[in-house]
Amino acid sequence: MSGAEDASPPTGSGKAEVPPRKPGPIRRLWNWFWRLKLVRVATSPATGFSLAFLTLGGFVAGVIFWGGFNTVLEATNQPEFCISCHEMRSNVFEELQGTIHFTNRSGVRAGCPDCHVPHEWTRKIARKMQASQEVWGHIFGTISTRDAFLDLRRHLAEREWARMQANDSLECRNCHSAVSMDISKQNPRAAAAHERFLFTGERTCIDCHKGIAHRLPDMTGVPGWQ
Amino acid sequence: MRSRLLFGVMAGVVCLATGTLLAQDAPRLRGPEPFTREQPAPPLPRPITNDVRIRRNYPDQPPVIPHSIEGYALDLNANKCMSCHARRFTEQSQAPMISVTHYQDREGNTLGGLAPRRYACLACHVSQTEARPLVENRFTDMDALTEPERQPGGRSNR
Amino acid sequence: MELSRRDMMKAQAAAAAAAAANVTLPAQAQNIQLGEELRLKWDKAPCRFCGTGCGVMVGVKDGRVVATHGDMRAEVNRGLNCVKGYFLSKIMYGADRLTRPLMRMRNGRFDKEGELQPVSWDQAFDTMAAYWKRVLKEKGPEAVGMFGSGQWTLWEGYAASKLMRAGFRSNNLDPNARHCMASAAVAFIRTFGMDEPMGCYDDFEHADAFVLWGSNMAEMHPILWTRVTDRRLSAEHVRIHTLSTYEHRTTDLSDAAVIFKPGSDLAILNYIANHIIRSGAVNREFVEKHVNFRLANTDIGYGLRPEHVLEQRAQHANDAQVSQPADFDAYARLVSEYTLDRAYELSGVPKPQLEALAKLYADPNTKVMSLWTMGFNQHVRGVWANHMVYNLHLLTGKISEPGNSPFSLTGQPSACGTAREVGTFSHRLPADMLVANPEHRKHAEHLWKLPDGLLPGKIGFHAVEQDRMLKDGKLNAYWIMCNNNLQTAPNTGNETYPGYRNPQNLIVCSDPYPTVTTMAADIVLPTAMWVEKEGAYGNAERRTHFWHQLVDAPGEARSDLWQLMEFSKRFTTDEVWPAEILARAPEYRGKTLHDVLFRNGQVDRFPLAEMAPGYENRESKEMGFYVQKGLFEEYAAFGRGHGHDLAPFDTYHEVRGLRWPVVDGKETRWRYREGLDPYVEKGTGIQFYGNPDKRANIMGAPYEPPAEAPDAEYDLWLVTGRVLEHWHSGSMTLRVPELYKAFPGAVLFMHPEDAQKRGLRRGQEVRIASRRGEIRSRVETRGRNKVPRGVVFVPFFDASQLINKVTLDATDPISKQSDFKKCAVKVVAATTQAAAP
Repeated sequence: MSGAEDASPPTGSGKAEVPPRKPGPIRRLWNWFWRLKLVRVATSPATGFSLAFLTLGGFVAGVIFWGGFNTVLEATNQPEFCISCHEMRSNVFEELQGTIHFTNRSGVRAGCPDCHVPHEWTRKIARKMQASQEVWGHIFGTISTRDAFLDLRRHLAEREWARMQANDSLECRNCHSAVSMDISKQNPRAAAAHERFLFTGERTCIDCHKGIAHRLPDMTGVPGWQ
Repeated sequence: MRSRLLFGVMAGVVCLATGTLLAQDAPRLRGPEPFTREQPAPPLPRPITNDVRIRRNYPDQPPVIPHSIEGYALDLNANKCMSCHARRFTEQSQAPMISVTHYQDREGNTLGGLAPRRYACLACHVSQTEARPLVENRFTDMDALTEPERQPGGRSNR
Repeated sequence: MELSRRDMMKAQAAAAAAAAANVTLPAQAQNIQLGEELRLKWDKAPCRFCGTGCGVMVGVKDGRVVATHGDMRAEVNRGLNCVKGYFLSKIMYGADRLTRPLMRMRNGRFDKEGELQPVSWDQAFDTMAAYWKRVLKEKGPEAVGMFGSGQWTLWEGYAASKLMRAGFRSNNLDPNARHCMASAAVAFIRTFGMDEPMGCYDDFEHADAFVLWGSNMAEMHPILWTRVTDRRLSAEHVRIHTLSTYEHRTTDLSDAAVIFKPGSDLAILNYIANHIIRSGAVNREFVEKHVNFRLANTDIGYGLRPEHVLEQRAQHANDAQVSQPADFDAYARLVSEYTLDRAYELSGVPKPQLEALAKLYADPNTKVMSLWTMGFNQHVRGVWANHMVYNLHLLTGKISEPGNSPFSLTGQPSACGTAREVGTFSHRLPADMLVANPEHRKHAEHLWKLPDGLLPGKIGFHAVEQDRMLKDGKLNAYWIMCNNNLQTAPNTGNETYPGYRNPQNLIVCSDPYPTVTTMAADIVLPTAMWVEKEGAYGNAERRTHFWHQLVDAPGEARSDLWQLMEFSKRFTTDEVWPAEILARAPEYRGKTLHDVLFRNGQVDRFPLAEMAPGYENRESKEMGFYVQKGLFEEYAAFGRGHGHDLAPFDTYHEVRGLRWPVVDGKETRWRYREGLDPYVEKGTGIQFYGNPDKRANIMGAPYEPPAEAPDAEYDLWLVTGRVLEHWHSGSMTLRVPELYKAFPGAVLFMHPEDAQKRGLRRGQEVRIASRRGEIRSRVETRGRNKVPRGVVFVPFFDASQLINKVTLDATDPISKQSDFKKCAVKVVAATTQAAAP
C-alpha cells in the first residue's frame, strides 16, 4: 500500500518561483475523492484483523474474483454467448452449421471462439477488449439486417483474414498442426499442396482455406480468386 | 410363404426378361416389391476424392469431378472452381484448365476469360460418389466399335 | 510386336475385305484410327428432358448412339447442354431395357394375380382389346381411360387424342403435364384467351431484372439459367430476385434470396400490386385500352375428394373457376388489404426485401422478366398465383416486348407441344379448343372427317380423378404411356396403387424400362424412346422442333405411336360407336378405328417416298405411309389461320425449330404487339386477340391458406421436387452410371437445428411420416439445398424412397393440378416406430 492518502495538493513543491495556481477541476475532484471518509478508512492499515486472516482472506477474495473473472471470460467464450446476438446467430452461425467444422466424422466441433479468439491469455484478453466494439455495434444496430451484414461482409472477412495472416493462422494450428499431419492420409491433391506451400512456409492456412466456415464475401481482387 | 415364392419367381422372370440387375438394387429403380412394403434407406455413399481422372465416354462429355466439392463457393461473390481451374492458376494447382470452349460467349466470340454463361460449373460437371451403379449400362464407346480389343471393359461400361 | 490369334484373324478379315474393295491397308494397324472408321453420322435432335428444348447433336455409328453434344446452331442453347443432356447418349442403353411385352399370367392365361411373363404383341393386344370391348359394352366410354405425357411426341399425343376421343368416345385422357403446368395453362386461357407465353427466350438478353417465383432454375432449367447468369454477369445493372421457400443453387447466384412461408407468395404478389397502385405506377393508358378487371370466386376448396371436410366447408368448391366482371377500383380495394405490414406478417419476408421487389415492378424503366415453374403451378392456388403475376405486368404494361415478360417455364420437353397445343388434357382439343364447346367439337369432327356428334362433350377425368376413379372401380380399362405415375402422383399409397391393383381394372403401362408403375401394371409394353423413333416436341417458348429416327429400338420395343395405331386396328366402328351415329353415317360401318382415324385420306396421304432418305422409320414402313407427316399436317390444319400457325412438315427437319405462329415462313418471337406479331392489326399497338374483345384480364383474388399446415404433431412443411442430375422419376437417368453416382439416392434436406432438436444428425436414417403414409430416408443437413427451420425437402426421383406415399392429393380446384410443395410431416429416427395411420 502506498501512502497516497497523505498526498496533499501539489502546491509549489519544486517550482517555488512560479506563482501558485488555482487547482484545475480534475485535481479538485481527485482531492475530494481522497478526502472521503470511506476512502480513507479503506486505504489505512488494518487494525482489528490478523495478518493471517488478511492474507488468507485476500487469497480467497482473489480466488473468487479471479474465478469470477475467468468464469465470465469463459462464458463469453462459448458459442452460445456469441449467438445470443442475432447478428451472429442469423448470419455467421447459420452458415457455420452447414460446414465440416460444425459436424464431421469424429464429432469434434469447432465453435466460434476456437477460430476467432486466441487461446493464449494475453492475446485473448486483447481480443476480448477489441470485442467491446462488437457490443457497441450490437447496441447501435450496425448489422441489424441481413443486407447490412452482407454489405459489411468483405470488411469483416478482411479483418479476420488479416489477423490470421498476421498470426500465421494460429487458431487453425491449435487443432491442425502441420507437424502432426500424416499426408499419406490426405487426398493426393491436398497432400501435394501442403507439401509445396504449407511445410515450406510459403503460405499459411488462411491463404488457401478462406470461406470454409462461412460464405465468402465478394472476392474481387483477393489473391488466388478471380 | 406363398407370396414370397411368387415374388421370387416374378423377380426372376423380370430379370431374365430384362437384363442383369441385383435384387437388392431393384427397389431403387423399380420400387419396393410389393409397392406397400417398407424400404430401408441405405447409408449415404461417400464422395470419390481420389483425384484420378476418369475417361470420358465421348469427347464432348464434360469430365466428372474426381474430388470433393463440399462447401465450395459458387455464388455471385466467388467461384471456388476457378481458383484452381482458371488458366492463370493451373500451374500452381496442377489442375486441368477449363476447356477453350469456356472462353466463348453465346455469339461464338472468344473472350479474355471464363465466359459468363459458363459460370455455373455444376450445371455440367458433377462429382461422383462411391455408389455402385444399379444396373449395367451397355453404351458403346466409339473406339470399341472399331477395335473392341482396345477397350479394357469390352463393350460394357463401368 | 506379337500378334494374338484373334488379332491375326481380324487382320486377315480386314485384308480380305480390303482386297475385295480393291484397296490396300498399311502392313500394321496403327494405334490411331484413320479415315472412314472415324466417321460418325451426326444429326440434330432436341434434348429428351426438360421443357427448355435444347438442341443436341447426336453421333451415330453402327446403329448405336456413341456421342452427343450441345448443338452450336440451336438458338436455345448455342452449344451448351446440362449434365443430363450431355449424357443423353447413355439413356437408351440400360441393361434392363424392356424388349418384349409382359403380361401377368397364370396357367398360360392372363390373370391379374399372376406373374409378369413375356408374351407376343398379339397376345398383349388381344387381351387388352377384349377387355376394352367388354368394359365399353358393359359400362360405356367413361370406364376407359388413358394417362399420357408431356414427353410424348406431338404425333403420339395427337394419335392418342384421336383414338380416345373419336375412337373410344371418351375424354378420359390426361397427360402427366396435369401434375406439371396445368395451372399455368389454365391461367393463360383465362387471362389472354390463348395458351402459352407471349414472349420467348430472347427476353433473357433484354431484361434488366429477373424475378423467379418458386423456380430453382439452376437445377431444373440449367441452360436457361446460363442465359440468365450470362445476362447478370455481363451487364452490371442487372439484378436477380429469387423467391422460394428455401435456399438453393439459384439463390446462390441471385442478388436477393426472398424466403417466404409456404403459400404466402399470394400475399406478396398482392402487396406488389397494391404498391404499384399506391405509388402511382399504374400504366393508365395501357390499362384503359387493353385490360379488363375481374374478381375470382373465393373460398374454393382444395380439390380433395368431394366428401372431404375441407371441400364440404368451402363455399365455392363447385364453382371455383367462376369469376365476376369488376373494375379497377374494385380490384384496387381488394389488393389494398395487402399492405407491407400484412405481407410481412403472412410471408415472414423482411420488409426491405419486399419493398425492393415491389419497386422493380413499379419502376417504368426497369424491364422485368418474371419466371416461374412448379413453385407456382403445384400450388392449391396455382391459377391465382399465375394470374397475380400477370396482374403486375398488365398493371404496368410490362408485357409483350423484349425484356418485359411474364414467362411460364415448363417442366417437360413437350408439355407445351403435346399436352397443350395438341390438347391431350381431359378438357381440350387441338389449338386451344375445348371439348365442352359444341362448336369446337363440330370443327374437330369436320377436320377429322368424322360423323357429326361423334365427339363426347363431357370433360373427362383429370389425372388425380383418374386415380380416384380407378380405386372406386369406375374407371376399369386404363393405359399409361410415357410416364411413371405410381411414383409421381400424390398420395400414391392410398389413391393410386389401390386402383392399379383393383381386381376390376386392367392396367397397361408402356415404358422403355421397368418402373414402379410397370411393376404394378398387368400388361407392360416395351417402348421405343427418343431417337429410336421420328419425333417432334414443342418447348416452353412455342418452339416446335423435330428429329429423325437415328437408331433402332432394341428387341420388340415399338414406339407409342405404333402401339396406338396398331391397337386401333382391333376395333371396328360397330363395336365401339353408338348405333344411332352409324345409322346417320352408314359409310363408316364395318371399318376399323384404324381406318377411320388414320386411313382417312388425310393422315395417309403422304407416301413413303416422301421420307428423307437415309433414315429408318419403323412406324411408317409398317403402316405403309409417312405417318408422322400425315398426322402432323392434319393436326396443323387446326391452328393455321387461327394464331397457331405451324410451318410445313419438311421445314422442321431442316431448321432448329420455329416459334409459332409461323406466318409467311417467319416465326413470331413476341406475340400481341404490333410489328412483332402478324396477327395484331395495324394502328392498335397491342391486341390480346385470344379474347373476343382483344383485352387481357386482370383477375383479383385474395390470399388463402394451404390445404394442410404443420401442427403440434406433424410439425414440418414438406416440399418435394427434383435435382439437377435426375429427370423426374429417374427411370432414364438412374441408369446412367455417372448421373447415378452423382446423386445416388433421395435424402431429406433439413435445417441442422431441426435435426438437432429431434436428436438427429447428418446421414442418420429417419422416417418421414404424414397422415397418409411414411417412408424412410437419410438426413442431409448440408449440400445444395438450405432449408429454413420448419421446412424439409425431399426429391422424388428415388423409387426406393417413394415420397409420394407421404404427399397430399390436394389440387388447385381450378386447374386440378396437385400441390406437391405443401403438406405437413413429422420426422423421427428410423429406430423409432412411427405410427402412420
